[in-house]
Amino acid sequence: MPATDYQGSFLGRISIRRNQVMSMEGNHEQELEDLELFQKHVADRFAELAPPSPSQPSDDIPSDPILSIAWIRKLLDVFLCCDAEFKAILIMGRDPSQISKPPLDRLIPEMLDRDVKALDICNAITNGIEAVRHYQKLAEIAVSALEQRPFGDGQVKRARKALTSLITAMACEDKDGANYTRTWSFGRRGAAAAGNNKSTGQLRSLSWSVSKNWSAAKQIHAMSANLVAPRGTEASGLALPVYIMSTILLFVMWTMVATIPCQERSGLATHFPVPKQLVWAQSIIGLHEKIAEEWKKKEKKGSAGLLEEMQKLDKLGQSLIEFTDSFQFPAEDERAEEVSAHLAELGETCRRMEEGLVPLQVQIREVFHRIVRSRAEFLDVLDLNGKSSALAM
Amino acid sequence: MAGYQSVNPNHEGDQHLIAAAHHILKLLGAIRNLSDDTRKLLADLDIHLSIMTGNTINNGGEAIEVEKRLKCAERMVLRWQANQSMIWDTGPGEVSKFLGAIDEVQTLIDSFSGVSVNENGRVRELLYRANNIVQVAMLRLQEELIHILVHHKLYFEPEYVSFHSCRADVIYDESFVSLEDESVEASQRVSNTGSVSGEYIVDLIHPQVVPDLKAIANAMIAANYDQEFCAAFIGARQDALNEYFFVILELEKFSIDDVLKMKWSTLSSEIKKWNWAMKIIIRVYLASEKQLCNKILGGFDTVCSLCFVEIAKATFLCLLNFGEAVAMGSTQPEKLFCLLDMYEVLDDLLLEIDSLLFEEAGSYIRIEFHELLRKLGHSARQAFQELQKAIAADSSMKPLPRGGIHPLTRYVMNYIKTLTIYDDTLNLLFEDQNTEDTHSIVESETEQDISPITFCPLACHLRSITSALECSLVVKSRLYREDSLRHIFLMNNIHYVVQKIKGSDLRIFFGDEWIRKHIGKFQQHATSYQRATWCSVLSFLRDDGHCSNSVLKTSYKERCREFTNAFEDVYKIQTQWCITDPQLKEDLRISTSLKVIHAYRTFIGRNRISDKHIKYTVDDLEKLLLDFFEGTWRTLRNSRRR
Repeated sequence: MPATDYQGSFLGRISIRRNQVMSMEGNHEQELEDLELFQKHVADRFAELAPPSPSQPSDDIPSDPILSIAWIRKLLDVFLCCDAEFKAILIMGRDPSQISKPPLDRLIPEMLDRDVKALDICNAITNGIEAVRHYQKLAEIAVSALEQRPFGDGQVKRARKALTSLITAMACEDKDGANYTRTWSFGRRGAAAAGNNKSTGQLRSLSWSVSKNWSAAKQIHAMSANLVAPRGTEASGLALPVYIMSTILLFVMWTMVATIPCQERSGLATHFPVPKQLVWAQSIIGLHEKIAEEWKKKEKKGSAGLLEEMQKLDKLGQSLIEFTDSFQFPAEDERAEEVSAHLAELGETCRRMEEGLVPLQVQIREVFHRIVRSRAEFLDVLDLNGKSSALAM
Repeated sequence: MAGYQSVNPNHEGDQHLIAAAHHILKLLGAIRNLSDDTRKLLADLDIHLSIMTGNTINNGGEAIEVEKRLKCAERMVLRWQANQSMIWDTGPGEVSKFLGAIDEVQTLIDSFSGVSVNENGRVRELLYRANNIVQVAMLRLQEELIHILVHHKLYFEPEYVSFHSCRADVIYDESFVSLEDESVEASQRVSNTGSVSGEYIVDLIHPQVVPDLKAIANAMIAANYDQEFCAAFIGARQDALNEYFFVILELEKFSIDDVLKMKWSTLSSEIKKWNWAMKIIIRVYLASEKQLCNKILGGFDTVCSLCFVEIAKATFLCLLNFGEAVAMGSTQPEKLFCLLDMYEVLDDLLLEIDSLLFEEAGSYIRIEFHELLRKLGHSARQAFQELQKAIAADSSMKPLPRGGIHPLTRYVMNYIKTLTIYDDTLNLLFEDQNTEDTHSIVESETEQDISPITFCPLACHLRSITSALECSLVVKSRLYREDSLRHIFLMNNIHYVVQKIKGSDLRIFFGDEWIRKHIGKFQQHATSYQRATWCSVLSFLRDDGHCSNSVLKTSYKERCREFTNAFEDVYKIQTQWCITDPQLKEDLRISTSLKVIHAYRTFIGRNRISDKHIKYTVDDLEKLLLDFFEGTWRTLRNSRRR
């Protein structure tokens, strides 16, 4: 069932509750039902993101491969949906004083702190997407050079240079873990010129995407450090949605950090601190395990980022470099035929990147602003309770 | 390129062509030396002719001629391959030869465009060679481009651009001193009229090499190497901007987490830096960068706007995020000035940002800046409301000793005095609020002949601030046990408020009526003080018919003594009290003196009390009254020995 079906009934509930604002204590049952629904929606939404298992009959509509740009955009949509529902449950029509009671008086400030860290991750990722766009452009040069007819030595050399820059750039990013190292200074003279009045190390330090010493891995670690599943009576109260939403936030941010180049990813945790028995978390845990596995492979292999399109660029780039290495003029027709399939795939990948990267960047900005707004709304509620002084940092 | 197919047997056209050719031949016969340009033009004509006449260049002579020229260009390009020195450093002669060679190859490639490659093996081979030459040459051009960009970049020293606001020196605590409003306003006016963008353009690249860069851009784009050009150009210019940002301006990037956890003193100085950096980077640096892009890439509009946005994007986002972080933070009252500064700076720059990011590529950043302005405005309003809350919440359990000016009064008055500098912005913000929210501030004053400023939104808000202050002062005054001191305290503070308003621009916001009313208020407290203190003391001296005659007789001396005791008690206490304003102190002493001395003199004179029963003469008393409200501890013994 598509998520929108739930949306209708869910909003209906909210409006019912609006009419009951005054009788807050009386609708505990209503609240339990809302929580139940929230968990179900979370489970369903993330289940839709899971890659189709081979045993299941495949749908007619081909799903976007996991960790592709389109998939990440879906993930962010899911985040935005969950956040909206979460706020509806926790804030709308609720007596603000409930939020300042234990354990929420502790959990909400912790959540708001996580929000701030997520904002910085969003910014680091926005910057990382610039690096990915740079890779895309290098790949495009190769594609347009190799597609040119008649096809000769000049085009091959041009493509080869672009591909080498691409592979080096992706490898460099991976090694440094910092902001992407630019590869505009091709060639010996250019490099000498760029390094003329400052060391390249200094240049790199000038392009921190967030701030000096900022580390995405550390932020992720800090976000998960105090994330503990509610137990006992808390497990059925408002502590639960706070925990669920924090888990989603952590998962979304972690996934983006693992997928898209960003400042200082080394030591990114692969452990996900969510108890396995939680029903709503099954899909998230499944996705997490899958991505964590990929991440471990990546760390071992030293390959580029986990973004599906980047892995494509890496694989196809390598194979096309091999081709250009062995290229002899005049071109053997069969060899050229062989390459054209790879070339078409690289071209298709570039097209997907061209279509998806800028909207992804805009969407991350949307997530950013949503988090800012949610945080402000919670602060307002807390302010009403006169608790703002402790929180306002 | 006109292909051979397009030539129709058109007699009229032929005639024109023949006439032109005759003309050329005649001219060629007349001159001995051809300039480079002319020679090239004629060579192009030659190639064109050879392709047209031969239909394809498979027949002998022309093909050899094309090949010869290709070889010549090839030699020119390859000659540099092993050479370590840069072409553009070698001199204009070499440059034009190199560019000429590229142009030649390009012309050849273009002239093949009409020829079917598959049909003609010879042409195909020549094309391969030509493409190869172009590739080598483009690689070289890219290196030359980076070399020039790196070696001829210029930075302007920020000191030469005077954007430093006088407001940067405001200290936001209760001790801060008055500002020199005139200079602030003057500088503001100047910057507000700053739609003249050309005024701030500086050279970011030595102007001498700009034509070189343009030549490289033209050559690379003509050869369809625009992607390579952009990568190199954007990369080099991004690095230059980063260097300017971090090294020259010594700015730092902060995470939002950093900003939210920043100590107020650090944050306020970072905000000042931001204000300053926004103006320099957006108004000067990026405007100049855009101009540079236009100069180099003029005519290639898409490439040009793409390059600029790519170069500037990260810096725009960095400036934006700092603003976001500040707008997200708490809104304590002292932040208001910083928020207003940021608001005004951004408001002032918004038109420039709009024009810099006019194209589609940067539009989302442009929108975000507009959004940030709204957020800063919202935060500023919140900080203003926080002030009102803070005044109400300011509760000390101990009365201020000696009844002087309360620190809160000083703080609030200095605070709102500074606010008047921002009157335009604040009025705008409050008007927005009134249209946003349904509840607007309505005042009950109905005077007609008052300047409109007195009823502007800011004025209403200012008056509500002072009335909150008055309420708070009344609450504080209740902490005093003596009624008299309570009145002294209120008189002092209200007088201070009135003086601050009368002596500053606040005057026009509050209006004469308000001032008159409040002068009345503190005078009322002065009167109340006199009543509270002196009525009981002077009652000893009063001859009223209420007492029976026998009592009166025995008690003249007694009453004089009691009066003296009461006076001494008052003296001991009230010399410690404090009236800081000399004029106010003087006025109160005089009126007190008039009252007390008059009653005393009358009492002594009428009842003929002998000197030995009088502890203080009238003169003594007059002198003693001068000690009142000095705020120092005095004993009477000392004063009596005079």
